[in-house]
Amino acid sequence: MHDMPGPAQGGSAYDGPTYYDRPSLKPAPFNTTVVGGYIFLAGLAGAAQMLAALVRRARPPGFRRVARTGHALSLLAPTLGAGLLIYDLHTPQRFANMLRIFRRTSPMSIGTWVLMAFSGSSLATVAADWLGRVPGLRWLRPLGRAAELPAAVSGAALGTYTASLLSATSTPLWAATPRALAVRFGASSVASACAALSLAERRADNHRTARDLDTLALAALGVELAASLACRRRWRAVGLGAAEDTVSGKVLLEGGADLVGTALPIALHAAALAAPPAASRRGSALGSFATLIGSLCLRIGVLEAGDATALRPRESLGFAQPRNLPRQR
Amino acid sequence: MSVTAERSVQAVHVHPRARDYPGSFLDGVIPNESELTCGTRIEPGKSYGFFTDTTLCIGCKACEVACKEWNALPADSVGFTGMSYDNTGGLSANTWRHVAFIEKRGPTGTRQTDQDAFQSGWLMMSDVCKHCHNAPCLEACPTGALFRTEFDTVVVQQDICNGCGYCVPACPFGVVDLNPLDGKAHKCTLCYDRLKGGLEPACAKACPTDSIQFGEVPELQARAEQRVEQLQSLGVAGAHLYGAPGGEGATGGLGHLNAFFLLTERPETYGLPPAPTRPANRVAPGLLAGLATMAGLALGALALLGGGRR
Ligand code: SF4
Ligand code: SF4
Repeated sequence: MHDMPGPAQGGSAYDGPTYYDRPSLKPAPFNTTVVGGYIFLAGLAGAAQMLAALVRRARPPGFRRVARTGHALSLLAPTLGAGLLIYDLHTPQRFANMLRIFRRTSPMSIGTWVLMAFSGSSLATVAADWLGRVPGLRWLRPLGRAAELPAAVSGAALGTYTASLLSATSTPLWAATPRALAVRFGASSVASACAALSLAERRADNHRTARDLDTLALAALGVELAASLACRRRWRAVGLGAAEDTVSGKVLLEGGADLVGTALPIALHAAALAAPPAASRRGSALGSFATLIGSLCLRIGVLEAGDATALRPRESLGFAQPRNLPRQR
Repeated sequence: MSVTAERSVQAVHVHPRARDYPGSFLDGVIPNESELTCGTRIEPGKSYGFFTDTTLCIGCKACEVACKEWNALPADSVGFTGMSYDNTGGLSANTWRHVAFIEKRGPTGTRQTDQDAFQSGWLMMSDVCKHCHNAPCLEACPTGALFRTEFDTVVVQQDICNGCGYCVPACPFGVVDLNPLDGKAHKCTLCYDRLKGGLEPACAKACPTDSIQFGEVPELQARAEQRVEQLQSLGVAGAHLYGAPGGEGATGGLGHLNAFFLLTERPETYGLPPAPTRPANRVAPGLLAGLATMAGLALGALALLGGGRR
């Protein structure tokens, strides 16, 4: 017998008929931890490379070391990050097939080429840092300099294209809010890179630049918080309860990304700015660690909650109602 | 054969060329066999698809079986789902046709006993890949494994797919699926191999009621419009098309669905989204918003880090 509609899940707006409450969509076959880990590393690496180029222009105290750290962090993407990506393929030995074509409708294709450009230029910046003093390899230094701009620009793209990759699917949670999700991922990438660089500067006792990096992290976290609220508002409006009533929604998105990853470091960094510099070092380090954890939680949480909305017919069918269609241009 | 029997055979419009093949055993494939079985000659460069008229479906699952047989696809599950006569459950990497069974209940929650004759409380619908005009799976595929064929259909090339899985969430209808055993994406090919050989797709050829009609898309669309009018005039008020150009099922920039349907209930009843969208339309907004965020924060970084020290 055709089941009559059961009680609506979460904040679902749709309570019409479904096909035995079976999923109308298939969730992405991604391993959420592996792919979430990649998105986190790509964001951290890309934004760190962008910040490295910026500090070289702005020249704050210790800027050479900051830039070197940024360059070194960028290696996370071509090494561990790319490894995670290939690991998640279901036919990994064919990973190079990604390089057969460029498809502008596919952020996964765009991202592949961004990652290639980023990896190449980042390797050049690191090679210049590490080997540029070796006699006979001095030519690496102008090469590294020339690679800074492409590395920074592709880094900026690497820090945020992953949001577009998720939005350009039919998974309701990701598709519902392409712009706010991109702002959120981008800001989280910058915040995580600031956090990593700030931790390194604190270790090197360069508290002045660390403080400036914390202030920048504060700005990025503010943007992230605003984007998080925008996401939440939209998800509620289109009846996607999985962002709030699933374990991943509660633990990873609300707890991890919003509370630990955003609200806590905002409070700590703001308090640190108000206090005398010496009194705030511990708070700053704690805030930086929280930012990094939150950035990872954000990515895994969005992946998991998205899969949940794909599996819930009341949320996917509710989202695919004519009233939610984009306005005609 | 008696004269009357011969007449009745003619009455079901046997193609004149069929007389060329009177025997039961053939030496080889009949050239352009599809002309004999569905009145359509299959030629590269034209657009082919299915018109699935759910009012004609009797739920025999001949299409499911024909598809599995032709494509050598294994069974997905041998258990009972408890969902009417549907133990298939849905489309998957191994199931490219799925017959949905819906036994309508009355408003009181019990089965109506005052329904019209001929089991009109049943809804059956043979679901399949829609071979979308702007196919989201194809637009998402980063390897080019998914491509558009010379028959305007959408096919996964098994020797290229690397199992990234991006096409799976891209599909607005939950069709394409990864097989964990071979690590590749699979879905209906609209019998690409058969089309190349001039054969009607297996499911449509096997369908005993012509609920599944194969043909050129513009022709099918015209036929479908007429059928809706006919049904409406017979009092089937809910009869409407799903996947006609720009209409229900083909909203949000999808264009039209090469495999489209005639439904009598709202699409959600069959598990279909009423207003799907084309994911590729969200690529630019996402990228631009992200890059703008990075640019804004970069400017902030310059101001902050360079603040009055030079
Ligand atoms: S229905 Fe899904 S799998 Fe079929 S062509 Fe459209 S997007 Fe691709
Ligand atoms: S799983 Fe295969 S067909 Fe699907 S998007 Fe990836 S490479 Fe293309």
